[in-house]
Amino acid sequence: MSPNGQKEEIYTRHASARPSDLAKSLAEIMNPEGKAEVLDDVLVLDVSRNSFAGISAASIFAEFGAEVIKIEPPEGDPARRITPFGTHVKGVGIPFMFEARNKRYMTLDIKDNEEDRKVFSKLARKATVIIETFPAGDMDAWGIGYRQLSEQNPGLVYIAITAYGQYTEKAKKFVRMPDVDIVSQAGSGLAANMGDVPDAGEPYSWPLRAGLWAGWYISGLSAVVGGTVALIHRQNTGVGQMVDVAGMDAYSSMVGIPVSIGYTWHKARPRIGILDFILYPYGHWKCKDGFVAVAAPRDHDFRALLKILGLWEIEDDWRYSSDRIPDILEQATHLHKLIENETMKYTADELVGLALNYSKKSARSKWRGGGVPIVMKLMTPETALENPQWHVRKSFQDVEDKNLGKYKISANFTKMSESPPRIKWVSCDIGQDNDYVREKYLKD
Amino acid sequence: MEDYFSYTEKLFNPAETADKPEALKGIRVLDFSHVIFGPIAARVLGEYGAEVIKLELPFFGDLWRPATYWGKYWKHSNPIWHNITKNKYFISVNLKLDKSKELIYKMAETADVIIENFAPGTAEAWKIGYSQISKINPKIIFLSCSTYGQYGPMRYFPGWDLLAQGASGVLSLNGYEDRFFKLPDYLGDFVPGNFASLAVLMAIYYRNKTGKGQYIDQAQSEALMRLLPNYTYHSITGGAIGRTGNTDPSMVPAAIMKAKDDKFLALACTTEDQFQSLLAVMDRKDLLADPRFTSNESRLIPEHAKELNQIVSNWVKTKNCDEIIDMAVTQSIPAAEVMDDYTLCHDEWRHQRGSVILFNDDMYGELAIAGPSAQLSATPSRTKWLARPLGYHNQIVLKKFLNLSDDEIKDLEKQKVIGTFDDRPGLKPPVYYNLAEDPIYNYGKEVSQ
Repeated sequence: MSPNGQKEEIYTRHASARPSDLAKSLAEIMNPEGKAEVLDDVLVLDVSRNSFAGISAASIFAEFGAEVIKIEPPEGDPARRITPFGTHVKGVGIPFMFEARNKRYMTLDIKDNEEDRKVFSKLARKATVIIETFPAGDMDAWGIGYRQLSEQNPGLVYIAITAYGQYTEKAKKFVRMPDVDIVSQAGSGLAANMGDVPDAGEPYSWPLRAGLWAGWYISGLSAVVGGTVALIHRQNTGVGQMVDVAGMDAYSSMVGIPVSIGYTWHKARPRIGILDFILYPYGHWKCKDGFVAVAAPRDHDFRALLKILGLWEIEDDWRYSSDRIPDILEQATHLHKLIENETMKYTADELVGLALNYSKKSARSKWRGGGVPIVMKLMTPETALENPQWHVRKSFQDVEDKNLGKYKISANFTKMSESPPRIKWVSCDIGQDNDYVREKYLKD
Repeated sequence: MEDYFSYTEKLFNPAETADKPEALKGIRVLDFSHVIFGPIAARVLGEYGAEVIKLELPFFGDLWRPATYWGKYWKHSNPIWHNITKNKYFISVNLKLDKSKELIYKMAETADVIIENFAPGTAEAWKIGYSQISKINPKIIFLSCSTYGQYGPMRYFPGWDLLAQGASGVLSLNGYEDRFFKLPDYLGDFVPGNFASLAVLMAIYYRNKTGKGQYIDQAQSEALMRLLPNYTYHSITGGAIGRTGNTDPSMVPAAIMKAKDDKFLALACTTEDQFQSLLAVMDRKDLLADPRFTSNESRLIPEHAKELNQIVSNWVKTKNCDEIIDMAVTQSIPAAEVMDDYTLCHDEWRHQRGSVILFNDDMYGELAIAGPSAQLSATPSRTKWLARPLGYHNQIVLKKFLNLSDDEIKDLEKQKVIGTFDDRPGLKPPVYYNLAEDPIYNYGKEVSQ
């Protein structure tokens, strides 16, 4: 065996020896079955309406073990019908089914029914967390806002999600404007930084909507992170508080980058299509049989990529050696095309293989200067479902509801050795738990 | 009763933030992580009062320090880096040396949280993984961040935000039939970073109840997958939601449109009431008689939705953006102008609300920095200081937290266990800044102020 062959064998043996011990035991350690539920002492009332920010926040609390009661009017939360192309199963939309995680469903019309508000107020005395998305001040005017509920329940964590928040002049003026995903994507700086380059023609050069509910989900995640900070404070001191999420700034605050650039550059970034403004190459390229994602942003990664693509002759061209991430679109696009000419000669699997082989060699190299270009066959959500990685990690779960039948959801988004999130059941019939809730919380 | 908005104005008053308690005071975080994903998890904890000690390689530092937009530095620093690493203590320790491990083990004794995002297995190989640290401190909460997770056949694959976007499938969803784009601003790092901080917060809550620490494996891809009902859609219909340009396929009208004054705006209707109000303003109630548009379900059929979005877009084209927004406010129809980096940064509402903070820093002066994505009334997030040069807090951390003497520190410097910055931007202080007179950098030494 050649010295090289020997090295190869050592490498593969080393790599394949790991899953049998460390990774296998980790899969066992991280199995949620039988583990403690961290929020088993938390009662969440979700009165959000028409908002997947509120619904997803409630779901995440439920996945961590809180008792979550979704409270909706007798005709159901209108969010049940917000679904791609109108697709539904027995009247329940796909996103609502996706978020039907470990929850109780109760009917109360707190918007229009005085009696129901009294019931809610009684329930709120026992609640740890409330999630609401009504116009700021409506709950207060109904006598069931934070101001009133915290008097009887000082430890209450009250989460309000709206478009412009609970305070400031603008929040007051825009108080009746609902928080809707595509609008918050536009109003929080996400849409402006997506879309094709200026000369791509209309509508390609326009601001673009991200193809998921980035606005709603980022608001929901912000609400849970803020809410959990508040729960820790409550645990330490007994004191509750109000958590105020505004859809119009949740995205820009979570990523922060638009604010930093707007201030230091005194202007907005142009839309740059498939390019990146900090890293290069960092994006997706066409290949013979589809697309690959390529990340080779460090100088040595870039050079490694040139080598495996047979593009080494451009290495000493000043445009690429010292300034390959220019704010001159033409120059960056030119390099993109040069790379595309080469990637088009291979299939995705071939490109992945080329990059892996190179990276293995460079990882073994004494000099470690060879770079690690990363190439991945691009997935769609549908093909991602087939990836063995997610089977091993139980990232997707088959669930079944007696009315809605069988379906798949993404689950177990965080693996924790002691108190992981998990899916216990999905079901979401309107009012299905009315008796349960009245029996458990409203008898006295 | 006091007016609601004057009540909330007091409840959230940004001027009182500094006097309010911090929810995570007393929590100490050792942050071994680099780039964005791990550091953001640590930053979120730091915003709410945790003491975050960030470790970096001497004379090299975090990979992201020099990674600014189109190579544009601000006062010899990376403006984006300030947002990612504010409120942290920066120490520079060569993790690979045995001598450094002694330091790290000593720090781990009093730490509550450790965060790392090396390639899976690396922390264990360097003997600073969960199996080693939990022997020193069984109550430790240890967070490992990676693109694919710590186990499974793909765990050794290197990753970035882009690869997590690619692996979850979200990268393929943004755009038009013939072209698509990744999510901007490394959303695939920032969102999973917040999921990771959530896991740590849950672990702190659990530890407060039970005294138990734990190990957390946060995969970037799985965090993104939590946001996509596309898997469910596929399992039920066998089809795919796919790409729908700048319209939302779940509601109609719902699109990004161009007004008469060339400004862009988004407008959407999610309820029958909103739709009826919009038709009334457009003076197009006649559309309700069109069988394609009478019910929401029928309107959502792709050809009908396309037609209706076009009708509304054509109307929007005849009005200025402000006119549409004014109409939307009075009619309670969701609509907003597209905000870009500049308009957003200088938006009065954001300044008043505290989601854009004009922060005055001792080293860098004024910088606009993003506030929190959720405002808390009793224990608000706060910005205490911006990023600092590499190794800036070596003295204060080693002396104050580890009780090392000047001689011991000098010895560590000599052995290259600890170090500071070199002359590269992103690592060093602003050139005009007089570090010799900085009392924190020279902690424990006499400085003439």
